[in-house]
Amino acid sequence: MAVAETLETLCRLDGISGDEVRVAEYIIERIKDKCEYTIDPLGNIIAFKKGKNRAPLKLAMSAHMDEVGLIVTYINPDGSLCFDTAGGIDVRILCGKRVFVGDGRIPGVIGAKALHLLSESERNTCRLTDLTIDIGCNDRESARALVSLGDSVVFDSQFLYFGDDMLCSKAIDDRAGCAIELELIDMPLEYDMQFIFTVQEEVGLRGSGAAAFTAAPDTAIVLEATTASDIPSSSEEKRVCEVGFGPVISYMDRRTIYDKQLYSLALETAKENGIPAQTKTLIAGGNDAGAISVSGKGVRTAAISLPCRYLHTPSCVISRKDLENTLKLTKKFADRIMKI
Amino acid sequence: MKDTRIKELLKELCAADGVSGAEESICELIKEKASRYGKTEIDDFGNVVCTVDGFDERKKTLMLCAHIDEIGLIINYITDDGFLKASACGGIDLRVLPASRVTVLAGDKRIKGVITSVPPHLQAAPEKCAPLDELYIDIGFDGQKAKQLVSLGDRALIENELIGIGRLVSSKALDDRFGAAAVLTCLETLKGKETAYNVKAVFSSKEETGSAGAKTAAFREKADIAIAVDVTFGRSHGESERETGAVGGGPMIGVSPILSRPLSNALINIAEEENIPYGIEVMGSRTGTDADHISVARGGCITAAVSLPIRYMHTPAETADIEDLKNTAALTARFAERGEL
Repeated sequence: MAVAETLETLCRLDGISGDEVRVAEYIIERIKDKCEYTIDPLGNIIAFKKGKNRAPLKLAMSAHMDEVGLIVTYINPDGSLCFDTAGGIDVRILCGKRVFVGDGRIPGVIGAKALHLLSESERNTCRLTDLTIDIGCNDRESARALVSLGDSVVFDSQFLYFGDDMLCSKAIDDRAGCAIELELIDMPLEYDMQFIFTVQEEVGLRGSGAAAFTAAPDTAIVLEATTASDIPSSSEEKRVCEVGFGPVISYMDRRTIYDKQLYSLALETAKENGIPAQTKTLIAGGNDAGAISVSGKGVRTAAISLPCRYLHTPSCVISRKDLENTLKLTKKFADRIMKI
Repeated sequence: MKDTRIKELLKELCAADGVSGAEESICELIKEKASRYGKTEIDDFGNVVCTVDGFDERKKTLMLCAHIDEIGLIINYITDDGFLKASACGGIDLRVLPASRVTVLAGDKRIKGVITSVPPHLQAAPEKCAPLDELYIDIGFDGQKAKQLVSLGDRALIENELIGIGRLVSSKALDDRFGAAAVLTCLETLKGKETAYNVKAVFSSKEETGSAGAKTAAFREKADIAIAVDVTFGRSHGESERETGAVGGGPMIGVSPILSRPLSNALINIAEEENIPYGIEVMGSRTGTDADHISVARGGCITAAVSLPIRYMHTPAETADIEDLKNTAALTARFAERGEL
């Protein structure tokens, strides 16, 4: 399968933090005949694939399976649902969006008071407490028949190909990383390698630390989607990275200072293979590297990220070329690491 | 009409494009639907006017008016990076824009895009909504290609098709395709029946940008009595009973100094006598609907406003109860038959 198709399949699956089971099931279906794997108590998948050669060091790839979403916290007497965010969602993108609630995928819309009924000052604000999910029930009892407290809420978001080879979907963060891992597993590998698929990244890097403890790699590559703020309302120095300019190799973000040698090696690998690559122009974001790098006696860690606009929304946007180049670079980089 | 047929009709009407001033698609669709009930024409101003069969010079003329335009965006600039800048076409709720999918209607092409959202780390005040001048439409093309594909003045809209949520329906453009569907359902109910008035159905253009369509249609069609069928605020969570009507509680009959009180009373009487659920919406002056303009057309027109309650007005998540559509159709049809004015 082409990496974009794998990504599409993964993005269609629902799996907010703490409820990643559908994503995990698909991944296991894809890897079960190619890898040895275990599922740890938190739900992380730790897989091992044999390469042509025994690896001189223990290298692990890691991507997270969870996506940002919402969680039902209360059912109002009028049948509408209160919710909290699961993961770092900008509340201002929620108003008017369509969602599915719970395992039964009950359709709903996120509503707020009508614009016309708000005072001038209220019109310009959007807080979590202003929003409820409307599932078309007119009282608590009928809502309870459909929904339970704690139900996961996901965005109703079609996977869209648009523009000049661009992709748009929910959950690209980090099904893109998962898709790259699955594609690597499908390829013949030069060296033995570990593949980790983590849970609960979006609620504070909670799965990856435990997974890294169990897997105990020497070196890790974290595969992620990262904020690209290359939009006209952002000044040039605040754009972080740009869509279409290749994978992002990080030297530092808000959670991690990356291994200097690996950082340079990744850039070198990109250059040698003619793969476009960039780095971040702002110390922003954070990912599982923050937990993996400090697990056990320490893990040398690099992050290769896909530049992604509108991260943590139902409409994340990436370029297909960036996705393909990230896969290419990751493979070459892994082989190079073995020769350190 | 059966419920499923009404829902299908509403779904079809809501799906058609018709951002204010660019109503061609919805005009054609309405013309096709209304032609079953009488001679139907699209006038120069984008209004669709159906003169219901059986016109009799001796009778007064009742005009039922629902607008068919919808709120949206209008492209007014393209950056060298290929992002589109848009203005509001009608009073769109700006809170819904960031990270929404949009369709740009560029000639015969439908170009998909996403409205930008500024990442939280770059925003100073996290609770403040982004003003429209900070938002752009990302169509994923570079500047050159974007300028080839899109022209200034093209419209864009958030294309949410009608879905069922619980006992309700949610769609873009329920304001006022919901009213238009009610008027069509009324005409269906009246088919083959004797009416007290000649009936004209006006499906007006450009309501959201100032009722230009209703203003000109009311002048042309010379109605004696008019009912503007539009939407009003249906109660959603946290909204007061004082300001909103119950979704599913029936049409809201308007009472206002600018409306005809005898006509409002006649509608209230009919609702009472025929056991049609209804509410009363009292307004101190203007109604914010086509009624404001129809009532002062020519030498004046006896006008009422009958409004269907919807939630989340001027968002792509407008939500309503089909029962209210059926009851609005029943109320207007019974008035046309009984003619108690």
